[in-house]
Amino acid sequence: MVVRFLPADAVADQTAAWARDYHVLAPVREGSAVVYRAYAKDMHPFLGRPPSSSAKEALLPQTENLFTYAYRKDRSDLTRTEVFLSEALPPEPTLILGPRPCDARGAHLLDRVFKERGVADPQYAAHRASALFVTVACEEPENTCFCHWTGGGPMDETGSDVLLFPVTDGFAARAITPAGEKLVAGIPEAPAAVQQELAAKLARAPEPGPAPDLSSLPERFLALFGDMDFWMDQSARCLSCGVCTYLCPTCSCFNITDETSGLAGRRLRTWDTCMSALYTLEGSGHNPRPSRAHRLRNRVGHKFCYHPREFAKLGLLEFSCTGCGRCIKSCPVSVDIRRIVLDVIEAGGKSAANANPEEKP
Amino acid sequence: MTHSPYIPELATIVETFDETPDIKTFRVVLQDPARMAAFRFEPGQVGQLSVFGTGESTFVINSPPTRMDHLQFTVMRVGELTHRLHTLKAGDPVGLRAPLGNCFPYQDMKGRDIVFIGGGVGMAPLRTLLLFMLDNRADYGKITLIYGARTPEHLCYKEELKEWAERGDLRVELTVDNPDKGWTQRVGVVPAVLTELGTSAENAVAVTCGPPIMIRFTLQALEKLGFKDEQIVTTLERRMKCGVGICGRCNIGEKFVCVDGPVFTQAQLRQMPQEF
Repeated sequence: MVVRFLPADAVADQTAAWARDYHVLAPVREGSAVVYRAYAKDMHPFLGRPPSSSAKEALLPQTENLFTYAYRKDRSDLTRTEVFLSEALPPEPTLILGPRPCDARGAHLLDRVFKERGVADPQYAAHRASALFVTVACEEPENTCFCHWTGGGPMDETGSDVLLFPVTDGFAARAITPAGEKLVAGIPEAPAAVQQELAAKLARAPEPGPAPDLSSLPERFLALFGDMDFWMDQSARCLSCGVCTYLCPTCSCFNITDETSGLAGRRLRTWDTCMSALYTLEGSGHNPRPSRAHRLRNRVGHKFCYHPREFAKLGLLEFSCTGCGRCIKSCPVSVDIRRIVLDVIEAGGKSAANANPEEKP
Repeated sequence: MTHSPYIPELATIVETFDETPDIKTFRVVLQDPARMAAFRFEPGQVGQLSVFGTGESTFVINSPPTRMDHLQFTVMRVGELTHRLHTLKAGDPVGLRAPLGNCFPYQDMKGRDIVFIGGGVGMAPLRTLLLFMLDNRADYGKITLIYGARTPEHLCYKEELKEWAERGDLRVELTVDNPDKGWTQRVGVVPAVLTELGTSAENAVAVTCGPPIMIRFTLQALEKLGFKDEQIVTTLERRMKCGVGICGRCNIGEKFVCVDGPVFTQAQLRQMPQEF
């Protein structure tokens, strides 16, 4: 496989070249954060650490038009109106630069929801069909990383079109897909020294350490479902701010709202968060998830119980989590989903054993 | 792109009725006559009614598929969308995404006695199935309706309740918490009426919809009468957005009320994480 070399000082020019053919989202430093921005002239993409947000906005923009509507008054009878609808324009092909392997895997988990659950979502499908991931492989896991718990790895190729490996003074670039081949066709082949450096890096890939066995999680979670003391303890610090869901590569819940100006407007979908009390609040005032404990339980349950149970029909154990660690890194009160998961396994095991005393060893 | 599941069909309100001080019924037809003629649904399925500029909300289609000159929705005024809906009148345009969700297991109910137990606006989904059964009367055994509301004026479908009581092929028991001067029927809560009637569970199915507190005590009463979980059918309320199982909002465990429901048997509900 051809390895190419993209010097660090050529990243901006290469991004500009891509931007001629694609809507490019590239990471830039803003204060202490690294955020994706649409390509702009003289932009300097920053690939030095994982972006603060996930790459899901390439596939599920934070706000997106579903359709537009317009009312028209009947001139002969002003009490009557007609309404006209128009479909949203198909999205532009998007290239996202700088996501990490955990983000690229997230796309494949979003597919489960938007493509494989039954009803196809044509807007998502259009984003997905044209989106390209130019991913940066990870050199050293951060202390919040746990991609190896959920089947990923720092150099995992899943979901990427091009993988960039940091080397001295730049990146060794390797195309993963035919679309990726086209993207890197203009980048010169890597000199022998870079090839050797890459080979050496791959030979001693970062060792992420042992991963716990999560296979009992779906059952243990259900065993603990009704234990509100457990969930009150776990959520005691939670502020319901929702940052964990907004930054998550796999959280995909959305709201639908109308935005009107005069007689016309648009119906939008916007990222939503199950951490919010309003999320499930019904018109009657009834709320099936009235407390933070209920809501945090839903997020953990969705990722580690409901998703694996729903997609067990595919014959695999898959969690709706890529272990990117953003929810841990950005939580203002240091809620750590790894700790919750391990506690569920431990406490859920005890709870299940108490419920079925005859099964005790 | 293929057609988006989020784009409603255009419909027109043809008639509105005040049911109670805060409940209104809307009859709508799709603007495209060919689409209206081809429209098919099953009793218990729901639709998303849109008022463009305000949003959309989920309501059961409470007219039966045996009466297709319009689609009927009954709406309690509780939030932003329902307030706006209540201002609309005949001739006004709305959007409709329907049918959505599953339906009552009316095939499995054939040959059995049916007990409808409703409270307040929870009568709406029961109306669909009740009218469907009356239009296929020979397929079903004894039919009983127990329906209650806060006061006589809070009962929905008052004219129809009278007609049903006079038909002779179903039993109608109405009850209110607070009677007025003219009220000649029962006073008390719905579960108490159910217990008093001593309805037999043998070869019967109970179909219930109403406020959570009524459901809770109705389930207890049904259990005492010998109804098994498989014999109790209910239809759930949840806040919904997409209506097609994608947006994530209405999940109970890995089930989505908008596609796996809204109709569930009590036996199915017991298998789900208890988050109601």
